Amino acid sequence: MRSIQFIANLPAPWRVAAIAFAGALLISALLLAAGFSPLQALFVLIEQSLGNGNGLSEVVVRSVPLTLAGLGIAVAFRARVFNVGADGQIIFGAIGFVGFSLALPGLSGWVLLPLSMVAAIVGGGLWGGIAGVLRARYNANEIIVTIMLTYVAFQALGWAIRGPLQESAQIFPRSDAVPDGVLLGTMIEGTRLHWGLAIALLAVAATYVALRYTSFGFRLDAVGENPLAARFSGIRDRTMIALSLTISGGLAGLAGAVEIAGVHGRLQDAFAEGTGITAIAVALLARLNPLFIPLTALMFAVLSVGASGLQRQLGIPFPLVHIVEAIVILAFVIAGALQNADRGVRDA
Amino acid sequence: MLDDIFFVGLLASTFRFATPIMFAALGEAVSQRAGVLNVGLEGIMLVGAFLAALGAWWTGTPWGGLVLAVAGGAAMGALHAFISITLRADQIISGIALIVLGLGISGYGYRMTLGGMSPPPSIPSFSPMEFWGLSDLPFVGPIFFGQHILVYMALAGAVLLHFFLYRSRWGLDVRAIGQSPVAADAVGIRVQGTRYATVIFGGAMAAMGGAYLSTAQLSGFVENMVSGRGFIAIACVVFGRWSPLGAMAAALFFGMADAAQIRLQSLNPDIPFQFFVMFPYVLAVVALVFMAKSSRMPAALGVPFQPPR
Repeated sequence: MRSIQFIANLPAPWRVAAIAFAGALLISALLLAAGFSPLQALFVLIEQSLGNGNGLSEVVVRSVPLTLAGLGIAVAFRARVFNVGADGQIIFGAIGFVGFSLALPGLSGWVLLPLSMVAAIVGGGLWGGIAGVLRARYNANEIIVTIMLTYVAFQALGWAIRGPLQESAQIFPRSDAVPDGVLLGTMIEGTRLHWGLAIALLAVAATYVALRYTSFGFRLDAVGENPLAARFSGIRDRTMIALSLTISGGLAGLAGAVEIAGVHGRLQDAFAEGTGITAIAVALLARLNPLFIPLTALMFAVLSVGASGLQRQLGIPFPLVHIVEAIVILAFVIAGALQNADRGVRDA
Repeated sequence: MLDDIFFVGLLASTFRFATPIMFAALGEAVSQRAGVLNVGLEGIMLVGAFLAALGAWWTGTPWGGLVLAVAGGAAMGALHAFISITLRADQIISGIALIVLGLGISGYGYRMTLGGMSPPPSIPSFSPMEFWGLSDLPFVGPIFFGQHILVYMALAGAVLLHFFLYRSRWGLDVRAIGQSPVAADAVGIRVQGTRYATVIFGGAMAAMGGAYLSTAQLSGFVENMVSGRGFIAIACVVFGRWSPLGAMAAALFFGMADAAQIRLQSLNPDIPFQFFVMFPYVLAVVALVFMAKSSRMPAALGVPFQPPR
């Protein structure tokens, strides 16, 4: 207790530094226990992700779906609706995108691409919306429902790429390549950096405006602060809850589409594995503020790309990334609690 | 005759599939009764499954693995307790952190130890009980006498916890704290300490569920092997209306759904197997819709308590 009191007495910036330092110590201990040098690991992590053009472009590419899914998480979390099933919504977005673009290959890319993106938003939005409606109407816990629906989505993807959407050659469990017209071209020649970055940044701006400057954003926050008070002031809190999960799922669906159109070019197993979980850490670290989400997405992209390098070069297992994510979420929750203590918030 | 074999097999595996969910649901029922929500069971079960395999390999007996798993689960429970009880922070986000932490610890730990060995180590596991030959009886033998000892521990645990919650002084305290910590505190019940005990207990139970997966159902750890059971366990607490026997019944229901799903899969090779695998997850959603509204939720669930100074 005394040590927590000590941290609580620090000024806010030092407090974050103290928590970050504790996290770094913990990760170092885990690395040392497994016989790795933490300093060397840090060096390789940075060198692999930021130390060369290829790594840098991979970091930005990785940050794109994290940004879009992170925006979705933020929209839901602001209403205190906990969407932990973005992975399922990403899958249904991708299925919508690929299914739609393969069904209408004759259309020109200028028409087909936006329509397919809309199909992806609808697919993801539907998958999130189911959970939203069940929460709003039947009070079914959205954490359980979104996770259950994610397991259903994994199976649906597995079936789709071995059944109705399997490639014409019928050899691999994957879909045909989507028409060239719906591929997002590269922004910088010679890298994998694609125009999905522009889509992500547009989504950041749109989400920021919607949350900051519209009554929708205000109502969302009101429901998050206190749903009953919001209801008594005339806000339809249940509609807002259902809507927040639908929009959240739609943004995740867009992330799935961008990942297909920008990176893979077709539907395949595990095409965006773990994005939805990392996106939670992305959104929380950004304190649910859309403007910070691209930055925190970049940080986790550095971590993810660097950790792949660590696995290749030093044999440090990739799941270490999840430990770091958990520490970030814990730091967020602890910092929030200490801040409440500062403001003298008293509860029951 | 085939039908008999089918049903005996179905019922016997109902208990097998229900047990990991039951352990986790029983622990969660107790901690929710005291007013603390832990949505991180999935992560704790993963760590339990990994530690059980590691401990069993290390000590040469599955009991060693069970002890290690329980210790790990209790530690994760203690972390959640510290954050949600002492710091009075957001219980849901702390639970989400536990999910991610469990994913990381089990994946990293496994690849650093058992997963990196070649040849793959053999993990000592629990063997099914025989009860002096009773397990060979027709019909009832395989169902009631041929299970792993952990199955009986889970069932006995449900009964014991029921007596504990509804027939003991401590159980009354736990329920009082979950209804109104302020009132409980006013009559001299130690709110924070009791809550700590229930959350640590809940962590240990979830880890036992994980241990069952890696040292009874299978002999060894597979990454992500819990595959949603931690969340189904939370759903079971809701279906069981926060009572241990209710949670047990709900876990058996999902165990049967899983057992049926696997059997129907092999009987219907024309239907893509993915639809059968989906079934228990869809069932959980449907059951939540039907059960969640009739709320018997502890009044102070998720509400932190600030002891008066």
